[in-house]
Amino acid sequence: MSFIADSFRMAVALILSGDSDVTSAVVTSLSVALWSVLFASVAGVPFGVAVSLGKFPMKGAVRLVLNSLMAMPTVVIGLLVYSFLSRQGPLGSMGLLFTPRAIIIGQTILATPVIANYTLSAIQGADKRILPTARTLGASNVQSLFQLAREVRFGLVAAIIAGFGRVVSEVGVAMMLGGNIRMYTRTMTTAIALETSKGDFAFGLALGLILIIVALAVNLFLTVAQESLRA
Amino acid sequence: MSIAKYQLSSVQTSYGKTLGVAIDDLSLSSGGLYVLAGPNGSGKSTLLGILAFLNKPDRGTVSFDGVPITWTRKECALLRRRVTLLYQRPYLFSGSVASNVAFGPVARGDSKTMIQDIVRESLEKVGLSGFESRIARKLSGGESRRVALARALACKPEVLLLDEPVANVDRASATLFESLVVSLAAEGITLVISTHDDRLGARLGATVIYLEDGRLASPPEQLPSAVLPHRAEENHANS
Repeated sequence: MSFIADSFRMAVALILSGDSDVTSAVVTSLSVALWSVLFASVAGVPFGVAVSLGKFPMKGAVRLVLNSLMAMPTVVIGLLVYSFLSRQGPLGSMGLLFTPRAIIIGQTILATPVIANYTLSAIQGADKRILPTARTLGASNVQSLFQLAREVRFGLVAAIIAGFGRVVSEVGVAMMLGGNIRMYTRTMTTAIALETSKGDFAFGLALGLILIIVALAVNLFLTVAQESLRA
Repeated sequence: MSIAKYQLSSVQTSYGKTLGVAIDDLSLSSGGLYVLAGPNGSGKSTLLGILAFLNKPDRGTVSFDGVPITWTRKECALLRRRVTLLYQRPYLFSGSVASNVAFGPVARGDSKTMIQDIVRESLEKVGLSGFESRIARKLSGGESRRVALARALACKPEVLLLDEPVANVDRASATLFESLVVSLAAEGITLVISTHDDRLGARLGATVIYLEDGRLASPPEQLPSAVLPHRAEENHANS
């Protein structure tokens, strides 16, 4: 028990001391996660809407793939993106490997199916009268879709929260594509993996607690935003 | 000779092997007041969906103001700005009553001042003045129906299609609705009202179009103002 209590005390001390390594890991984790979720939302929300409302062949297969991608191991995505960004890869000349941008690319791929799937579920669970009602009131197709999105906004925020949860807690992509470079691409999760492998469990646990606090704060913010949309 | 608002020729819609509607010939004149009668599953809602340009029929021709409809997305979207359908169970969007009523004018890009006036006038017509800031989803069933009607009126439609508007509403709302329909018809709006109420057509002085198993049929005797549907336009013109 003292081990856990020590870790907790260390976490508090680390947060209060403003340790530069911890601050850098927190800032890197949050910035890559937020950018990834932003890009994944831009791709995933319209994709989820299109799959949900569209009538096209192999729709069931697309859903199956989306569901499977949700469970895709992060290291596999890391490996795939690595093969594109490495020096021998087709995008190697861009010099993206072991940069925060590489992590963002990998995490965007990771979060997109999650956000698309949650969006799809939100749209399918929406009242079937929304679109025809909007249309018969003279809304264009784009205006009708915006109204639909407005009506299911809680579901869409939940999709974004789920996407954020997926990327902020992952380690495979950040490790493989970021390289865990101190003060540059080291995230909280890669720092935890490193400290634990060095045998510094207390420091690792402390970082874990910080990660939980940060995730809690971001989710609290998104939940408050979600509630404020309720009218 | 005036051009019919709607002209339907050999229109047919099916759901799998089940016939939705099959109408050989039907004309609805501009400014006419029509009651669409028939038992459950007779195709009333399907026909309203076609008249509202929401559902393309499997075959046949529909003309609006003498122009045959090609059913392109763009064309239907433009026509829906002239025709509004009020559902039997209307869906009110989240937000205030005012935002619901303003939906159509906002979609059309009307100015803010104009929208405020339209919202006020529309709510006044349905007896809900002062309801602007109320939360739409917290209204009673009768009030919700009236907000939905106000929302439809705010679109200033040339044609108003009403699907079972007086089903399950209180007597006060039903009476208000009937007097409103008469005044709207007097304003020149073409009205098509589907109903199970056999006496509604007679009360409103409307032309009754009777559907049975998706087809136009001779109405039963208890519908005193009913006419043969293919003569609906002629009947209206003579009245």
